Amino acid sequence: MEQANKILRYTKITTAIFIGLVVVADIFGVVISRYIANFWAEKYDNLSVVILTTIFYVGTVLAYVVLFTLYKLLTNMSKDIVFDKDNTNLMKRISLACLLMGVDCMVGTIAWSGTIYLAVICFFMTLIILCVRAVFDKAIAMKDELDLTI
Amino acid sequence: MIVINLDVMMAKRKMSSGELAKRIGITPANLSILKNQKAKAIRFETLNSICNILECQPGDILEYRED
Repeated sequence: MEQANKILRYTKITTAIFIGLVVVADIFGVVISRYIANFWAEKYDNLSVVILTTIFYVGTVLAYVVLFTLYKLLTNMSKDIVFDKDNTNLMKRISLACLLMGVDCMVGTIAWSGTIYLAVICFFMTLIILCVRAVFDKAIAMKDELDLTI
Repeated sequence: MIVINLDVMMAKRKMSSGELAKRIGITPANLSILKNQKAKAIRFETLNSICNILECQPGDILEYRED
């Protein structure tokens, strides 16, 4: 139990650090996307830079959704609210945001084909989270049954 | 469906819910779930205690009715 609480605490701290990193990425978004366009994608036209900047900012908005939802999920779990419908709804939100990030990255291939790797990772993450959600749904059903066994 | 006639047996034996719950060793809330047909399952151990305390057979408590 103590080990699980420790893992939850460290994951919450890591999530908060990642939120901070996304904030920094947002501040330097234009510079970063221009760097990606010029040095990674080797594209120098304005259209590619604009597309990559837009993809970058849409991605960070979705990253906020994922990270804040994950933080809320971890807070629930640290309060011993684990097998709850609220948690499965939060997982649904995370998987939807991951799916949209995948679509966002797929659109990014217009400017740079390298974003397809990110898209594949996002789609795979969506599947993993959906599987975890299905496990939680089954666990909630089993818990309800156990609670009503007298 | 299975109907639990615990109220009837309790009335016959003139026993309150609180006393029965205490003697079975379950919480009054759980006994209330059982009485109000909200339970999904009943342990043999619980059924055994109820029958022992109320001096009855399982059939006196459980009844099958068509939906």
